[in-house]
Amino acid sequence: MEQLIGNNLASVAGFRPELVLTFGSIALLVLDLVLRRSRSRRALLAGAAVIVLGLAAVLLAAQSTASTPLFNGMIASDAFATFFKWIFLAAGFLTVLIVAQGDDYPSPRVGEFYGLLLAVVLGMFLMASATNLLTIYMSIELVSMVSYVLAGFRKSDRKAAEASLKYVIYGSVASGVMLFGMSYLYGLLGTFDVLAFAPKIAELSATTGAAGAATKLALVVAVVFVSSGVGYKIASVPWHMWCPDVYEGAPTPFTAFLSVGPKAAGFALALRFFLGSFAGPMGANGMAESIAGIPWPAVIGVLSAVTMTLGNLTAIAQTNLKRLLAYSSIAHAGYTLMGLATLSALGMQGVMIYMLIYLVMNLGAFLVVIVVAEATGSESIFDYSGLVHRHPLAAIAFGIFLFSLTGLPPFAGFTGKWYLFYAVIERASGPAGFWYGALAVVGALNTAVSLYYYARIIRAMFLEAPHVTDRVAPKLGYQLMLGAFSAAILVFGIWWAPIVEWSQRSMVMLRG
Amino acid sequence: MPRKIVIWVVLAALVVTFVGVLGARMAEGAVLPEIILGPLGLTDALFYLFAAMTFAGAATVALSKNILHSALGLLAALMGTGSLYVFLSADFLAVTQLLVYIGGVLVLILFAVMLTNRITEVKISNASLGLVGGGALLVATVPVLVFVAIATPWATIVPAELAPTTREIGNAFLTRWLLPFELASLVLLATLIGAVVIARKELKQDEPDTSVS
Amino acid sequence: MTPLQTYFPLAIAFIVAGALAALLVGAAALLGPRRPSAVKAAPFECGSDPIGSARERFGVKFYMVALLFIVFDVEAVFVYPWAVLLRDLGWSGYIAMAFFAFTLVIGLAYVWKKGALEMETD
Repeated sequence: MEQLIGNNLASVAGFRPELVLTFGSIALLVLDLVLRRSRSRRALLAGAAVIVLGLAAVLLAAQSTASTPLFNGMIASDAFATFFKWIFLAAGFLTVLIVAQGDDYPSPRVGEFYGLLLAVVLGMFLMASATNLLTIYMSIELVSMVSYVLAGFRKSDRKAAEASLKYVIYGSVASGVMLFGMSYLYGLLGTFDVLAFAPKIAELSATTGAAGAATKLALVVAVVFVSSGVGYKIASVPWHMWCPDVYEGAPTPFTAFLSVGPKAAGFALALRFFLGSFAGPMGANGMAESIAGIPWPAVIGVLSAVTMTLGNLTAIAQTNLKRLLAYSSIAHAGYTLMGLATLSALGMQGVMIYMLIYLVMNLGAFLVVIVVAEATGSESIFDYSGLVHRHPLAAIAFGIFLFSLTGLPPFAGFTGKWYLFYAVIERASGPAGFWYGALAVVGALNTAVSLYYYARIIRAMFLEAPHVTDRVAPKLGYQLMLGAFSAAILVFGIWWAPIVEWSQRSMVMLRG
Repeated sequence: MPRKIVIWVVLAALVVTFVGVLGARMAEGAVLPEIILGPLGLTDALFYLFAAMTFAGAATVALSKNILHSALGLLAALMGTGSLYVFLSADFLAVTQLLVYIGGVLVLILFAVMLTNRITEVKISNASLGLVGGGALLVATVPVLVFVAIATPWATIVPAELAPTTREIGNAFLTRWLLPFELASLVLLATLIGAVVIARKELKQDEPDTSVS
Repeated sequence: MTPLQTYFPLAIAFIVAGALAALLVGAAALLGPRRPSAVKAAPFECGSDPIGSARERFGVKFYMVALLFIVFDVEAVFVYPWAVLLRDLGWSGYIAMAFFAFTLVIGLAYVWKKGALEMETD
């Protein structure tokens, strides 16, 4: 017992950014009460949120990236988690910047939003580093619970209420199914420790006969059930149903956050879960084999293909920009799953790079939606006609984001897709290469489909005449952010070495 | 009429005697002998009884058209689950189940039913039952789950002597599982704030959100 | 001892409770005189004529209170195992529990200040 307590105490040293986020979140709630009558309340609260995130960033930068288990193996601190933690901090920071300028969150309620947003960031930190089934569950619950609230923030809006309710119901079902799967895993392997799974599974696979078959089947069932929690977070088929409604009903800045933050957290969790527990260590060629020959790549690959196809085909029919981007985000979850399906170093790197770039391009796309909605009060594609005449910067930036989302060079989205496809094609020459080849073809076809509906928006913006001619005048802060996002997309589309090197360095994951 | 009264009096007397005899025997320190009912022990029979109760309750929740009946079905399901915890010698968990779910969550759900005006008259917008899809899912998953449940050599432990678990739970919470434990407090905090965010000013539908509360 | 034996007193309590309820309701139904009239059949509202349906909509404030109750109910459940072990765990346990309680106290203060506990009628 002394030893357990000692380990907990020692772990605090590797847990400083999370502590800052915890106490920062609480402090913001207190500040929200203290600053009730203050006139510069909005600015002060936003400033406080930025300070908390900044402090967390400083401590994260100062923290060693050596792989260590913390809190008796509840979470891991390693370079891999740190990479994703930077993504979450960036997502939180940019969301605070967007919310601070917008009017989606009225002044009396903005304090709650910042406090809860920091709590989500904390939850995502833990998702990326969880190495125990209980921590996995609790961190997903923390993220979900707060997301339900933040999605239903606009109460007078029936759509927001519907969105929040659907989110809660689907979310509870997904986490219930996940818990059931976890109970199977515990029943099979007798441990909650994800890092201890691999040897136990190898041991179990020695069982032969009907019992052996049942064990393998039980394992597959358990993992599929556990994946429902993760799949729900990344919005992959068949756990995607909440996505369009929630994206449409939630306040747009939070939608933007939801599409990049929890999705990246879900992928971090999935990478750690599958690569750490169900695949052997990576060989010299950077490829791992799944333990006991259970066909995880096939399962994930099929999910990936179905997810991207469904997302893209449904996106074609959408006229509401937020719904369109929701289906597009489902499709992007599908592309990213390709990287997971390869169970290789390159695939893992692809997922990491893609999530980083996706953060910039998708936040940018939603920022344009916010800008246009503030000017016209509409999220319909018809109000984007001739946007280039009404606000050239927004239109051009949106064009850049959309091309990047399609994955065309010379935009950063191309870099991300390149690594994902490359990882799949690398596998295509190995065993079961045909199926990897098929997956790559499906991905390529989907990219073509996505070009169709992205181009529809671009055509509306650049080639169609505007219905109204008054100019849209977004706030200076928005313009600066749009400019910065576009610049980042263009720069990393050409000069991607820093991202690649950083992700290369961050591929160290704590293993059991 | 008097015959009925006699029957009732006899029944009441029986109950009183039953309790009295048992109470007296237990006061002497006697324990219940293990009763065997055919192929099943009494323990097994009770287990299946509680399992059936849970299942029937859950089925009522899902299938009943009257939402109040669903809530009562939930009561049965939660009670059954609580009893099953007892069979797993998880006494603390069983009490928690009673305290939190039956004493709290269920009351909250009944509350919600009462809060909702004319809930029985409202036409639910999503009337699609999805029977085909649900049936297909059932047919696909049930055999798999049954096979898995029966044929898998689960990692089991021999049930220890029935002992109070509260101390062990406390120990586990505050040492090995400290992080998830503290996380639970954050989840509860988020729930609290969320309740305020969602419920406040709910009644004033068209009030602009900008007013200072 | 098997669970059955340990929990037998509890089972007796349940049986007695059920039997007693059935007995009382049954006896009242059997023995009570039944002379219905229109006045007796009407719902009783302090002597005045009943107005509207009995299924009135509750204020959402009551729901808030119920929700808060559950949150603190759960907290109590978490505190209990610690209380049992208070001396064994010493300061480390105290600090861990203090943080747990602190978080919820902040929550309570927030809810209170935001006026969710005020019971004014809307």
